[in-house]
Amino acid sequence: MAFLEINNVSKTFGKTTAVKDFNLKVEKGELVSFLGPSGCGKTTTLRMVAGFEVPSSGEIIIDGKDVTYEPPNRRPVGMVFQSYALFPNMNVAANIGFGLKIAKRSREEINQRVNEMLELIHMPGYGNRYPHQLSGGQQQRVALARALAMHPEVLLLDEPLSALDAKIRVSLRGEIRSIQRELGITTVYVTHDQEEALSISDRVVVMNNAQIEQIGPPFEIYNFPQTEFVAQFVGTLNAVNAEVVDPKAKILKFEGQQLQTAFSLDKLHSGDKVMIAIRPERLSFASQEKKANILKGKVQNITFLGAVVRIQIGIDSLNFYMDTFNNPYLALPKIGEDVEITCSAEAVLALKERKESQG
Amino acid sequence: MKKVNIFAWFIFILGIFYFFLPLFATLEFSLRMKKGVYSFEAFRVAFEDPKFYQNFGYSFLWAVLTIIFSLLLVVPTAYWVHWKLQKIRPLVEFITLMPFVTPAVVLVFGLIRLYGKPPLNLTPTPIPLIAGYIILSFPYMYRSVDSGLRAIDIRTLTEAALSMGAGWGTIISQVIFPNIRVAILSGVFLTFAIVMGEFTFASLLSWPAFGPYMEEIGSMRAYTPQALSLVSFGLTWFSMMIMQSLGRGAKGEEQIAVAH
Amino acid sequence: MVMDAKPDSHRTTGGAPSARPPKSRINWSWLGVVPFFAFAIMFLILPSLSIFVRSFEGPEGQFTLDNIFAIFHGRDFINAYRTSLTISLITAVSGGIFGFLLAYSVILGGLPSVARSFLLTFSGVASNFAGVPLAFAFVATIGNAGLVTRIIENILNVDIHARGFTIYSIWGLSIVYMYFQFPLMVLIMAPALDGLRREWREACENLGGTELHYWRYVALPILMPTLLGTMILLFGNAFGAYATAYAFSGSFINLITIVIGAQIQGDVLYNPGLGNALALGMIVIMSLSMVGYLTLQRRAARWLR
Ligand SMILES: Nc1ncnc2c1ncn2[C@@H]1O[C@H](COP(=O)(O)OP(=O)(O)OP(=O)(O)O)[C@@H](O)[C@H]1O
Ligand SMILES: [Mg+2]
Repeated sequence: MAFLEINNVSKTFGKTTAVKDFNLKVEKGELVSFLGPSGCGKTTTLRMVAGFEVPSSGEIIIDGKDVTYEPPNRRPVGMVFQSYALFPNMNVAANIGFGLKIAKRSREEINQRVNEMLELIHMPGYGNRYPHQLSGGQQQRVALARALAMHPEVLLLDEPLSALDAKIRVSLRGEIRSIQRELGITTVYVTHDQEEALSISDRVVVMNNAQIEQIGPPFEIYNFPQTEFVAQFVGTLNAVNAEVVDPKAKILKFEGQQLQTAFSLDKLHSGDKVMIAIRPERLSFASQEKKANILKGKVQNITFLGAVVRIQIGIDSLNFYMDTFNNPYLALPKIGEDVEITCSAEAVLALKERKESQG
Repeated sequence: MKKVNIFAWFIFILGIFYFFLPLFATLEFSLRMKKGVYSFEAFRVAFEDPKFYQNFGYSFLWAVLTIIFSLLLVVPTAYWVHWKLQKIRPLVEFITLMPFVTPAVVLVFGLIRLYGKPPLNLTPTPIPLIAGYIILSFPYMYRSVDSGLRAIDIRTLTEAALSMGAGWGTIISQVIFPNIRVAILSGVFLTFAIVMGEFTFASLLSWPAFGPYMEEIGSMRAYTPQALSLVSFGLTWFSMMIMQSLGRGAKGEEQIAVAH
Repeated sequence: MVMDAKPDSHRTTGGAPSARPPKSRINWSWLGVVPFFAFAIMFLILPSLSIFVRSFEGPEGQFTLDNIFAIFHGRDFINAYRTSLTISLITAVSGGIFGFLLAYSVILGGLPSVARSFLLTFSGVASNFAGVPLAFAFVATIGNAGLVTRIIENILNVDIHARGFTIYSIWGLSIVYMYFQFPLMVLIMAPALDGLRREWREACENLGGTELHYWRYVALPILMPTLLGTMILLFGNAFGAYATAYAFSGSFINLITIVIGAQIQGDVLYNPGLGNALALGMIVIMSLSMVGYLTLQRRAARWLR
């Protein structure tokens, strides 16, 4: 049985539906992240787990116990807020020890735990500082320590890094992940940064419009998105409407060019419309030896992105992006040049229509 | 949460009661001039008195003079402090807040003792009166103008205007003033409300004004004072409403008045 | 190190255009605030200073402490200070508490938002409605023939004035002063309460705290500097009030402001030094409360610095 279960949870505020039919089981020690655009219901779901909102329907179970209607101060849940929410009138040590003090633990125990926590977040010696004397990254680490000091069974983080700059974001998310692994604490992590979600999580829950679009490990979410939304939201994508030519042979066509996919088209018939998607890094220039799955186009633009060079190729009225690794000795085509590009059949994803996935 | 709500309602209604009861009582009282019936007789008597208009006019004059000189003193200073002299801002702020802790009676006492006799005898002129009012207006004027200036980056604006070759007249009238107009107006109306009802300075310096006039009527008549009281309340109300509709953003601190 | 090589060329190109001669190192910009300071010195600082100096001057201009002693000899003066202090304390504390609760109920008490804007508008008006007209309003309310007086008499058959209540007493005047005291508190506390972030409450709850813990350990400590500061402001507000009490035709109640006002009008005892000393007493009390406030605030808000 899963450690944290969110069963059929919905939440409405007046006329807006913030979360609808949410189902998720999180195993003990697992880190699951919620990924989705602004307003899709991530925070609301998290707040229901923490107890700040009561679900309109459904139930929330932690370690076998139904906590749906438990007040927040009786849940074994630690929360880290986007805005840190450190108490400005208390120093770092008092912030970290606050929960223990409320629980009337002895002073020695509190001190010891506070020091442990300061070690854990690599900030020993900062106990006497006040929050306004810390950098944003340090504040967020203290917030993490404060949430962990009470030995919560579930840790919730709501966009903990979004107020920080890019460099610290990357290093701190690594730190959060390693602390989480070290303590083996069941964690839900909310973010709208897809790179963050992919890099930190055991599993990712992609949400849109109050609903779950797809749940899966990062690798699966990225490589095998099941819906157009997921494919578009996670990573860059070339998505086009195509027509089935031959479902048995898995041949599709668009703009008069033919393409083969490795995915089953069994349920479709010749002439059906389907959306296909190809990641830019799966495309490459066609070479002499390999002449399958060719698309003909014209180079529109070349953008240098550092490790990667992104080439924009016009195929009739459509634009395709193709990524190649940067290599100073490789000759790139000129803008306006005619090129042939190719990809393996496995790279051509046929996506479900949005409506099917809701059914 | 439910219990808190009942408590909140209770306090709120109590507060509203405290606000309205005296106003209602005043209205009721002012209508009782004619025995046995409610009538607007007290208002009629009040508005019939030519001295009402005289004193009202004087107060209006004092208010206008105060506002003009207060603006002339405060706006350039606040501007200059923002632009060039950030260091002395705490000092200027301190001075503008001093009227909060210097009782009006004490200030007027000091003014009379200092300027009431040669070598510098100012008491025959309204200078001490207006000066006192300007001091009283400092907290509101300075704070509104200051927060107005803080909301725009006047340093960048000024320097941008200078670099485009604008003269000082242009900068003040075209760049700075339009940006802090609302802030200035809210200071102006607060000052207006305060000066129009002010009693202490006018009375102790023996200048005609609406406040002393009301006091005089109060010691002579019944019912009319309450009518005047309502007029005065209306005036305060009017000024505050204008201020509120002017600066939705500049609420709160700027409305605080202290000099009674 | 390389950057240090030619610092001057950088500095002069910055703020000041070419007009300034390189020799002049004096900062002339303070000239812009001369009118303001001249005015403040002439009409605010000098008058206060002269009160201070002349409190220690005898009739011939010699140094003396007689004026100060005179305050303590005349029982009336001490009583006047005591009355003023009592009223100020009562209205600062009760106005402060009531204003705080009122601000709390409209901002955090879950009342509809119209209640809030309504209260704030009213507070803006009421905190400025003071002096003579306020006195008249309360005469009409709890004076001898006031509405409340009559209602109580009609319904409960009790004549509060016959039972010793008068509007000219400490309690009567306190009720009147409350009319502008608590709205002032509301105006200052409202933004402060708005500044309490929802996340603090939630973080506290999340860590096992109750509503009580939140107020005890988080909200009140954060609000304390504002609370204290505003109460001091209310104190000064009542302490310096003159017009309201005077309009109850003066000498019924012996406030220190009324005594000083009488000194100015020169009718009581003709001793200018004594008047100065009485005014100085007020300045001293106000300064002491300011100092008290600053120390308290420094202790309450260690975390601000
Ligand atoms: N207390 C509330 N009252 C009314 N509507 C709310 C409330 N809280 C959230 N909503 C609505 O519910 C929807 C989901 O909000 P939520 O905060 O969960 O989004 P989110 O996914 O966290 O977005 P973001 O990435 O911007 O934080 C939004 O449309 C929001 O307006
Ligand atoms: Mg959110």
